[in-house]
Amino acid sequence: MTLHWSWQKANVAASLWCIAVGVAMMALWLSQPVDLAERHPFLFGMKFNAALAFTVIGAALLLATRGFQHLPVLMMAPVFVYGVLALSQHLLGIDAGIDTLLHTPFVDIGTSLPGRIAPNTALCFMLMSLAVGLRAAQMKSSVVQVALGFATFIIAAAALIGYAIALDFAHDWIRFTRMSFQSASCFVALSIAIVFVGTEQTGYHRLTLAAVLGLLTYLILLAMSYYELARYEAAFGISFSTNSNDPRSTLSSLVLISGTLYGALIVHLYVSSRRARRMAADLAESRGQLGAIIDNAVDGIITIDERGTILSVNPACMRIFGYTPEEMTGRNIKMLMPEPYHSAHDGYLSNYHRTGEAKVIGIGREAEGRRKDGSIFALDLAIARLELAGGIIYSGIVRDISERKANEQALIEANAELEEFAYRTSHDLRSPIASSMGLLTISRDMLEDGELTALGQTLQRMEKNFSRLDHLIQNIITITRNRLMDEDDQAIALHALVSDAIEALSHLEDFKRIRIENHVPKELTIVSKPSKFQVIVGNMLSNAVKYHDPKEAAPAIDVRAFRYAGRMRLSVEDNGLGVPPASRHLLFKMFKRLHPNRSFGSGLGLYILRKSVEALGGTALYEARDKGSRFIIELPDGELP
Amino acid sequence: MKIHSILIVDDDENDQFICEYTIRKFDASIRVIKAFDGAEALDILHRETPDAIILDINMPVMNGFEFLDRYAEEFEVHAPVVAMLTSSHLGKDRERAMQYSFVKSYFEKPLQADHLRTMADLLGA
Repeated sequence: MTLHWSWQKANVAASLWCIAVGVAMMALWLSQPVDLAERHPFLFGMKFNAALAFTVIGAALLLATRGFQHLPVLMMAPVFVYGVLALSQHLLGIDAGIDTLLHTPFVDIGTSLPGRIAPNTALCFMLMSLAVGLRAAQMKSSVVQVALGFATFIIAAAALIGYAIALDFAHDWIRFTRMSFQSASCFVALSIAIVFVGTEQTGYHRLTLAAVLGLLTYLILLAMSYYELARYEAAFGISFSTNSNDPRSTLSSLVLISGTLYGALIVHLYVSSRRARRMAADLAESRGQLGAIIDNAVDGIITIDERGTILSVNPACMRIFGYTPEEMTGRNIKMLMPEPYHSAHDGYLSNYHRTGEAKVIGIGREAEGRRKDGSIFALDLAIARLELAGGIIYSGIVRDISERKANEQALIEANAELEEFAYRTSHDLRSPIASSMGLLTISRDMLEDGELTALGQTLQRMEKNFSRLDHLIQNIITITRNRLMDEDDQAIALHALVSDAIEALSHLEDFKRIRIENHVPKELTIVSKPSKFQVIVGNMLSNAVKYHDPKEAAPAIDVRAFRYAGRMRLSVEDNGLGVPPASRHLLFKMFKRLHPNRSFGSGLGLYILRKSVEALGGTALYEARDKGSRFIIELPDGELP
Repeated sequence: MKIHSILIVDDDENDQFICEYTIRKFDASIRVIKAFDGAEALDILHRETPDAIILDINMPVMNGFEFLDRYAEEFEVHAPVVAMLTSSHLGKDRERAMQYSFVKSYFEKPLQADHLRTMADLLGA
């Protein structure tokens, strides 16, 4: 952008130069300073017409730069016609009467005819007016414009250099008509602007154009020198060499060799510059790719120096640690470590520098990280040592594995629970069978001894064993079904469900003795899974009935439900045995029976309750009352399918 | 040697009944003391030391292992024969129980006269 802007300035500079030279020359011609003309005739090499033409071209280029399209074209038309006429006067030997049309020179510096411009100047006017006109019309550079600019530059530059090295033919194509150095400078400025501004559209590289321009100008100058030399030889009949060898052949050899060398040099420069550009582009591309990979990596990538100062972090680090890159770079890597790593890290580094013994570098391990908010999390850390030209740095790749760790932990817990379940079931399944086997042996004894009353009691014990076993197996079936069953959410009328659950308990012993009240509002509904919900309510109620206090004069159970903070809260409270404080931590655990003297349960009831509630996204709680227990479940509403 | 008293620690009423019946049948003169969990057993042991203890592992409130820990820690004098009586063998449980110096045997339910004979032999040894 800035480069482009500076080339636009070149455009303006060329225009202003032409206008300035043109206006100055016109002023000089009109003021007729005779003394000055006698002392410095070369100042008057540029004719009045030419000065006017340059002013017009300069103005047109300036207007084209400012975005004018038609006006510059209109301005260039007369300049082009003038160039054609001026050139044809030389070629055809005619006088079109244009030389003194606008101004009669007060002085003649020995040119062919007063006010007549040189043929090369006329040609350059044609070329430049065409180029500027095209530039204005097309609003951009083109191959034709560049070619026109090329030709103009070579002619004008040759003339200019001709002045410098006193090679007359370079500016005097025809005797007594020469391109003045003012004109030459203006043409050079204009052609540079035409060739080099806006080359992006044509696809040429500026350096290439400049090199080719330089080469061509050089070759033209050489050719001109050669021609001039030949002309002198012919004109004056002299020979620059005493031997029979033609000096021109020597010179032409030199021209050829130097030209070839120069050309080869330029080709070499061109090729190597292109290669360098391509390599730079490839490098930028691969750097960009690498940068994009690092910036978009899921893992955090950090580099530190030998003292532990953070040199760079990628965006993933911001997500993982919660710090912005500015907060991390320049600080010590310790900031991302919790204790004891935080304090020990300097020691690790110096120990590594001293002994070269790596504990993490090149190995990788699990470690802990500290976020900006102070929370500590598990991470996977891989560190590499990089020996760079600027010294040694360390790169670390950090992966947040807290989720994986949590999953691992959950898996370990689930597995432990499963193992416990297998152990306990194997024990609890065999225990009524072992007991029944013992009772069977006793029964046989009793039968032999004829103790029929005792036998009847023993058989009753066996019956109790088998119903216990059956109850346990039913519970295991419930757990499995709860785990496997996939049921849809439904709107459940809570009052009716509780009433049904109470009705279902009527076969239990002592049921009649207990006052059970359903306080659940009739209109209350919850969206949940009906079978699981039934298991939960049935469980809470049967517990309350089983563990009522036989000594209590008025055993009572109250069921209440209400919505609280978007969740359904259902409570079952009783004035029963309660749970002794020492055993409360065992509530809701697998195979825990808390009432040894009333241990007719499987020890799975509250475990099933908790699992079912959790499956519905809720929580199960226990609250001790002054007398008895209050079991509470809190459930969120599910979603209707 | 003759066993004079046995403490049965088991939460299951049926198992208690089987133990008591089997012991009576084996030797009616043995005094049977009953505890339904570890805590109750400790209370009894504070008062007297029986010749033998028959101990279940899976019990509510205080299980067999918790009882053994407390019994090892809090008591200087232990019953000469402590036998584990459990409904299922799991290698781990057996090893763990046998680490206590006073645990002498590990039986599987139901209790049989042979078990009592072994215990009497151990008491004599």
